[in-house]
Amino acid sequence: MTEYSQMIRRYSQYTLYVLALFVMGWGVTSYKSVFLGLILGTVFSLINLFSTYRKVNRVGQAAVEGKKAKSLGSLTRLALAALAVAIAMRYPESFHLVSVVIGLMVTYIIILIDSILQTLRFK
Amino acid sequence: MGLIAAAIAVGLAAVGAGIGNGLIVGRTVEGVARQPELRGTLQTTMFIGVALVEALPIIAVVIAFMVIGQ
Repeated sequence: MTEYSQMIRRYSQYTLYVLALFVMGWGVTSYKSVFLGLILGTVFSLINLFSTYRKVNRVGQAAVEGKKAKSLGSLTRLALAALAVAIAMRYPESFHLVSVVIGLMVTYIIILIDSILQTLRFK
Repeated sequence: MGLIAAAIAVGLAAVGAGIGNGLIVGRTVEGVARQPELRGTLQTTMFIGVALVEALPIIAVVIAFMVIGQ
């Protein structure tokens, strides 16, 4: 397993831990809409993470083989975020909008913290 | 007025992300083409860069949707 796929595996593992925490919060606490929003945002965030993984891998493959890569999939990810927010705005009684936004940022926060920790570890 | 605000927010964020992504991908492809054995390391760095650059336009899209929805 390469360093790259190991990293993605670690990130998705941490995201799934956070998702499990949110599901537990949805089941146990009375803040149903807040945790449902967090779950929705985190699921879309995970899809975004895998989309970035595939596209970056494809660009790397294209660079090695000397071919062309068509896109990095930025528009797909923006549209997915917009879809999550549209769902939250369509059903405001089930999803809390601000928590959907926080959920969308979960993987980015994990990537930031993990990369800082990795840098400190290998310093 | 809300539509203009949303369009400006998304547009400016997309311009910033486009420039940032272009710089990151350009340098990574250059590096990988020069030394293909470093592909894993460079891809890792590129992934972190692309992810962090794209966080801001996503926030901008969300804000634009919230402005339109009001």
